[in-house]
Amino acid sequence: MSETTTSRLAPWRRSAAGSVGLYSYFVRLAFLKFLAYRLRYYTGVVSYTIFVTGHYYIYSALFASAVADSPDGLVGGLTLPEMITYVAVSWIGRSFYFNNIARELSRQIQEGEIAVLLIKPFHVQTVMMFEAIGESGFRLLMFTLPIMVVIVPLFRIQGPPEPMLYLWTFVSFCLALVIYSQFNFLLGCLAFGMKNIQGVMRAKMVSMDFLTGVVVPFTFFPLWFQHLMDWLPFQYVSYIPVTIYLGKHQGPDLARVLLVQLAWSVALFVAGRFVWQRSVRNVIVQGG
Amino acid sequence: MSEALLQVRGLTRDYRLIKKREGVSGGLIDLVRPRRELLRAVDDVSFEIPAGEMVGYIGANGAGKSTTLKMLTGILTPTSGEVTVGGLVPWRERVQYTRHIGAVFGQRTQLWWDLAVVESFRLLQKIYEVDEQTYQRQMGIFDDLLDIGDYLHQPVRKLSLGQRMRCDLAAALLHRPRVLFLDEPTIGLDVVAKENVRQFLREIRERDGVTIILTTHDIGDIEQLCRRVIIIDKGRVHFDGELEDLRRRVGQKVRLTVDLRDTATSAELAATTGDLPVRWTSGEGRRHQAEFNRSEVPGAEVIKRLVNGAHVLDLSLAEQPIEEVVRDIYRQQGRPTP
Repeated sequence: MSETTTSRLAPWRRSAAGSVGLYSYFVRLAFLKFLAYRLRYYTGVVSYTIFVTGHYYIYSALFASAVADSPDGLVGGLTLPEMITYVAVSWIGRSFYFNNIARELSRQIQEGEIAVLLIKPFHVQTVMMFEAIGESGFRLLMFTLPIMVVIVPLFRIQGPPEPMLYLWTFVSFCLALVIYSQFNFLLGCLAFGMKNIQGVMRAKMVSMDFLTGVVVPFTFFPLWFQHLMDWLPFQYVSYIPVTIYLGKHQGPDLARVLLVQLAWSVALFVAGRFVWQRSVRNVIVQGG
Repeated sequence: MSEALLQVRGLTRDYRLIKKREGVSGGLIDLVRPRRELLRAVDDVSFEIPAGEMVGYIGANGAGKSTTLKMLTGILTPTSGEVTVGGLVPWRERVQYTRHIGAVFGQRTQLWWDLAVVESFRLLQKIYEVDEQTYQRQMGIFDDLLDIGDYLHQPVRKLSLGQRMRCDLAAALLHRPRVLFLDEPTIGLDVVAKENVRQFLREIRERDGVTIILTTHDIGDIEQLCRRVIIIDKGRVHFDGELEDLRRRVGQKVRLTVDLRDTATSAELAATTGDLPVRWTSGEGRRHQAEFNRSEVPGAEVIKRLVNGAHVLDLSLAEQPIEEVVRDIYRQQGRPTP
C-alpha cells in the first residue's frame, strides 16, 4: 500500500455530517451511562421534595409574620403563592440543568486520565458540552418529570400567566444548562494549575445555589447586591428562568433577558475554549 | 530513501518542582517563599524513525520515557526542540495529528468504563470517521487475532486485565493509524496474555505497516518485538541501535540461583564450576547465587558442572533485568555521549 510508505500524514478534517454524528453519539452515550445508574435518581426525587417542603413551611411562616407590615401583601416583591411557585420551579429547573462537570474534569486532570482524551481528534470542551446535554436529557425524563408529578399537585403550583411562557421557560432553562456547564468547565480547568482543587469545589457547591437564586430570590437581597448580580452570569442559571415563568418579564424585556442569556452562553463557551487551549499548552499531566 | 516518518531533534523538557523544606517552620517558609527547582526530564533527545519500524524505547523509572512519549503524542509541549511526524508538529496540530496515531497507556483504559465494549468501538468509529466497511474488516481482524468477539457486549469494568488490554489495543488500531505508541503494553499480564499481545503486534505491523514505538520494562517484549532499541537514562539517549549490537556490548548476563540439600560455602560451589567464568556473588547455607555471561559460557555447561559437583535440589536462571542493562550501558560509557 502506497499510503503506508509515504512519510507524510494526509490532511484530515471531520465533515459537518461527521461532526453531527459524533456529537449526537456523545449525547446518546451520556444518556445510556446515566441510565445504568438510574436507581440513584429515585432517592433524588425524595430529597428534592423534602427541600421544597422545607422551603414551603419557611416561607409560609415568613409571609404570615411579614405580610402585616406590607399593605400590598407582597414580601420581597412576591405574593405567597408566587413565592411557593418560585421555590418549586427553581428546584424543578435545578433537577434538569445540574451536572458535575467541574468535579469530573478536575478529577480527570489530576489523575492524568485527561491524556486519553487529549490523544483523540476532537475538542474536549465540545465533547463535554454534548455529554452534559445527554445527561440533562436523561435527567429530564427520569428525574425532572417524576419530581414535577410529585411537587406540582402537592403544593398546587400555578401555571405561568400565559401558556407561551412554558416554552420560554424551557428555552431559558436550556440556555441555563449551557451557562452552568460552561462555568463548571472553566472551574474544572483550574485543576491544571492547582495541586488540590477540593476546596474550590466545596466552595462552589455551597455558593452556587445561593448565587443562582435557587435558595433565596434576589429580590430579598439589598439593592447593591442585585446590581452586582446583574453583571454576573449566575442569575441566568435559575433566577431569570424562574421569573420568566412567573411572568415578571414581558414583551421586549423577555426578549432582552433571553438574548443576554444567549450572550452569556456564547461568552462562557468562548472563554472555556480560550482557557482550555492555554492550559493544555502548559499542561503537565500527572502520573504515567 | 525518503525522509523518516518521525523526526525528533534536540527535544528537551523541564519540569518546575517545588522543593519542600523540613518541619513546621520550614513549611511556613515554603508558604511565603517556595524553593523552586528545575528538573530536566528529557534532555536534548534526537532520533529518527522510518515508517514501518518497531522501536523499543527503554529506560528505568523516571528516565524520561513517558515524558518523551507524551510529547510525541502531542499531550505535552516541550521546553525546546522539534518533533515532526509526517510533516505535522504533534502539540501544534493536535486534532489533525491525533487522527493518524493510536496510543495505549499501560494501565489507563481509553474505553468507556460503564458501557459495553462495542459502544466504545462504535464511538471510536465516529471519532475517526471510519467507514462501515473498514470498521467491519478491522473488527474481523481483531476478532481473529485477539478473540475479542466473546466479550464485546460486556461492560468494560467486568473485563479482566488481559481482556481489557486486548480491547484497548484493538481500540487504538481501529482507525488504522500510521503510528502506534505503546506505554508498557504488557504490564501486569500473565505469560499467555503477554504472548498474545506480542503476537498481535507482530502481525498487525506486517499487515498494516504501522510504525510502533513502545516503552517497556519487560526484556521479553524487546527481544521478541524490536530490532532497534533506544535507551534513555536521566533524560538522555545512551544507546540507539540494533538490539544485537546492544547484546554484544553488554553481553547476555544471566543470574543463577541454586538451592542445595546441604549447606555449603561460596568457595565450595566455586570449586565445582572451576575454571568457568562464573562469579558467585552471594549466599550462604543452602541458597547461593551466581552470575555468568551466556556469550562466554553456555548455561548447560554451568548447570552440568554444578549438578555433578553438589547435591542440587532446585535451580533457576533469570535474564538480566532491563534496569541493569541500562546501568551497564551507562557504566561502560562512563559519561553520556554528547
